[in-house]
Amino acid sequence: FDRAVKLSHYIHSLSSEMFNEFDERYAQGRGFIAKAINSCHTSSLTTPEDKEQAQQIHHEDLLNLVLSVLRSWNDPLLHLVSEVQRIKEAPDTILWKAMEIEEQNKRLLDGMEKIVGRVHPGDLGNEVYSRWSGLPSLQLADEDSRLFAFYNLLHCLRRDSHKIDSYLKLLKCRLIHDSHC
Amino acid sequence: PETYLQLHSGQPPGKPELIRCRSPEKETFTCWWKPSSDGGLPSNYTLFYNKEGDKAYYECPDYTTAGPNSCHFDKKHTSLWMTYNFTITETNEMGSISSQPYYVDVANIVQPDPPENLSLEFEKKVYGKYLLLNWSPPSLGDIRSGWLTLEYELHIKPEGGQEWEKIFVGQRTTYKMFSVNPGERYVAKVRCRSDHGTWSDWSPESFIKLRKEFRLKDMLVWIF
Repeated sequence: FDRAVKLSHYIHSLSSEMFNEFDERYAQGRGFIAKAINSCHTSSLTTPEDKEQAQQIHHEDLLNLVLSVLRSWNDPLLHLVSEVQRIKEAPDTILWKAMEIEEQNKRLLDGMEKIVGRVHPGDLGNEVYSRWSGLPSLQLADEDSRLFAFYNLLHCLRRDSHKIDSYLKLLKCRLIHDSHC
Repeated sequence: PETYLQLHSGQPPGKPELIRCRSPEKETFTCWWKPSSDGGLPSNYTLFYNKEGDKAYYECPDYTTAGPNSCHFDKKHTSLWMTYNFTITETNEMGSISSQPYYVDVANIVQPDPPENLSLEFEKKVYGKYLLLNWSPPSLGDIRSGWLTLEYELHIKPEGGQEWEKIFVGQRTTYKMFSVNPGERYVAKVRCRSDHGTWSDWSPESFIKLRKEFRLKDMLVWIF
């Protein structure tokens, strides 16, 4: 569990840095944030929005939610890595971070499946995940629309990686330290 | 040359502006606005907001707790991982004007209070002499449940020194510094952040004066 928390901490650090870099370089003054409301592909998954909600949810359900969110990113991350290479003058740092997040996300998912398998043998949350259909928008010819699609994806990635990291840190304190961190 | 128009009856307000939002512990938050240039008349402010995934608009739940020109959101009104859209409207008897929309996700505005009780002690053990630094997390924030996880950065230097030694200590609230000079006065401060968010302000500086050492060489001269 300790390793999972370290990984999720690392992934969230990379995705917030990547978002900030992209935001500074490509999104200034374009009003992307207003357009990015209600547009994350994972928003169909109902997740806790504050401490009370997160504490009330049973640890098995919270673990399964983490799995669902992680699974929902497999596909978009794969495409992010290939499409980000086509952004004009994309700095290597963004490309490197996209590749690293893709790889580490898979490692975290593997690890979490093992943990959930141990807590609750035989049931891996029925492979629930939220499907992403944003690939065409990453390939749009119009540069402004294409950059917005990237902005939106990175904004959602930062949000979801922070959710996962927060839930796992809460679970670690609850399950291992009996809420006395 | 400029000409000045004198108006006895006052003017409608200028445009107010939201300037900052901050959450100290991932559970509540406050936003502040800048009053517009004065139209010469008393103004009223109203803040309206809407939340991602919810079509309705709501008015600020609490204008008073965080002082003038602010709106405070308690636990009940605070959700993470959704964008809030704020508009502030300034009204006087001549008219009213609204700010540009201001977008905030509480997850991205977490800035804890500074760490507390930074203490410095000199310790001598068989494995060496060192300066022991201890501090506590800010009292605001639920560290125990794991909802708030803080990382710390320590700055330390001899009092007259030019440059701080900067040490990122991770989640620990203690640090041992081994390379210290006897006779020197040291100054240290510490700050914290949550989840790669904004660093807190610095804690107040703490000091320690180390004693000059009675060196073994001198002792040998004295004995023989």
